[in-house]
Amino acid sequence: MNALVHGALYGVVIVLCLLTTVAFGVWFERKFAGRMQSRLGPTRVGPYGLLQSFADIIKLLQKEDIIPADADGSLFTLAPVLAALCALGAAAVVPFSPTVIASDLDIGVVWVLAVGGLMVIPTFAAGWSSNNKFALLGGMRAVAQSVSYGVPLVLAVLVPVILSGTMRISGIVAWQTSHHWVAVWPVIPGLPAFGLYMLAMLAESNRIPFDIPEAESELVAGVTTEYTGAKFSLFYLSEYVHTLVGSAVASALFLGGWDGPFAPGLHWMALKTLTLFALVYWVRWSLLRFRSDQLMDLCWRRLTPLGVALVLASAAWVQFAPGAH
Amino acid sequence: MTSVAFGVVAALTLLTALLVVRVTNLVRATLWLGASLLSTAGIYAMLGASFLAGAQVMLYVGGVVTLMIFGVMTTRRHEGLAAEAESTNTGRATAVSLALFVLLAWAIHGTPGLDVPATNGVGASPEALGRALLVDHVLAFEAASVLLLAAILGAAVIARRRDPGVEVPKPGSRAASMPHAAAEAP
Repeated sequence: MNALVHGALYGVVIVLCLLTTVAFGVWFERKFAGRMQSRLGPTRVGPYGLLQSFADIIKLLQKEDIIPADADGSLFTLAPVLAALCALGAAAVVPFSPTVIASDLDIGVVWVLAVGGLMVIPTFAAGWSSNNKFALLGGMRAVAQSVSYGVPLVLAVLVPVILSGTMRISGIVAWQTSHHWVAVWPVIPGLPAFGLYMLAMLAESNRIPFDIPEAESELVAGVTTEYTGAKFSLFYLSEYVHTLVGSAVASALFLGGWDGPFAPGLHWMALKTLTLFALVYWVRWSLLRFRSDQLMDLCWRRLTPLGVALVLASAAWVQFAPGAH
Repeated sequence: MTSVAFGVVAALTLLTALLVVRVTNLVRATLWLGASLLSTAGIYAMLGASFLAGAQVMLYVGGVVTLMIFGVMTTRRHEGLAAEAESTNTGRATAVSLALFVLLAWAIHGTPGLDVPATNGVGASPEALGRALLVDHVLAFEAASVLLLAAILGAAVIARRRDPGVEVPKPGSRAASMPHAAAEAP
């Protein structure tokens, strides 16, 4: 029962922190994108426009909740809730410090992959239940995309698992504390695996260059075309939370998690997570969108063989390198 | 407490499984199948087989259901939300399901050691599972993968024979992204 109370308390705190981070993350992204394009970004609400996200949330919640007449109503309503659940659920096993972790599962890595991978089902359900051709196309693209990036994502995550010999995420961080960060040493499976994970994570959270299901220049707004108000904001939110949790998982699996000198572990973990989160925005505002077939080609013909090679290399490292364990 | 929770999850599994076969809309049936597989994972987790539960969610709900949606969406003509399931061979389907049920029930009944209560998942840790699959029963494991490979090849052959007009697209060309080509790939 003690573990249940601990999990619930930390869960609530972590969810609140994630949501606050996302609110300011959206502000940061708009400022960042503005500066990249010689604009100022939001300036009106609060000092430096800091409260812009909160104004946006209030605006979205006030909007009319529209369910299209020919839509599959129950599924249409359920999809955004499920999407938010999947995005937040993956955070349950992420260790933000040796103690700040909602549930230190021994299969943490599998949990992250499973819950994160479920995201495609509410996305498709939203696209299909809208009964709108653009939304349906977006949903189809989401499914096709998920079939493609899933394998490289799992293969990339297997590298730290094989090197550290555990699937408990806090165990992987602890291994990196006593050895090296996976992304640093051994360089050959480590660094490319980190890059592979980041690419697949961008695809999983539907971020540019892989925001193919949304593709606002082709599909209006893809799966979210028919959504308004609170339901739309849930989708919007879950996309950001998914990216944030993906960045946190990347820092834990590849960048040593809470490991770092001079400051408490929580600070290091936050710093690494937010750096990766900002990197995603940098990519987002720098690159163009891939075509659906280009993504599949990239995932199946380049990233999957690379992932297999990396898994073999890490197995060889564990087997043959002196003092690997 | 535990038995109540088990009852709820088991009831959910059965209810959703029933909905899979009773719902006439194929997309909805597939989504119900996802819910059913998710509840099955819940039963695994309650028995202490957390790795098995995670793998079930990752591979079946995240993978197989996604592929089935892909299949439904790429092989049928759609007007709006309609995707009606056509059950024309109820008799044969009943016979096959009954035969499968009898076979499974016989196999499960004949397996020794199932009448003792689960000992908190000691035998189902990832390590024990990996050892059982890749050391103790490696031959059966590999035979199963060969069987699956044969099934994939068979499916590809059958799909191609039915549709003789389909040319094999060059990998990487635009045609490779066309639905009929992609649907064969998995």
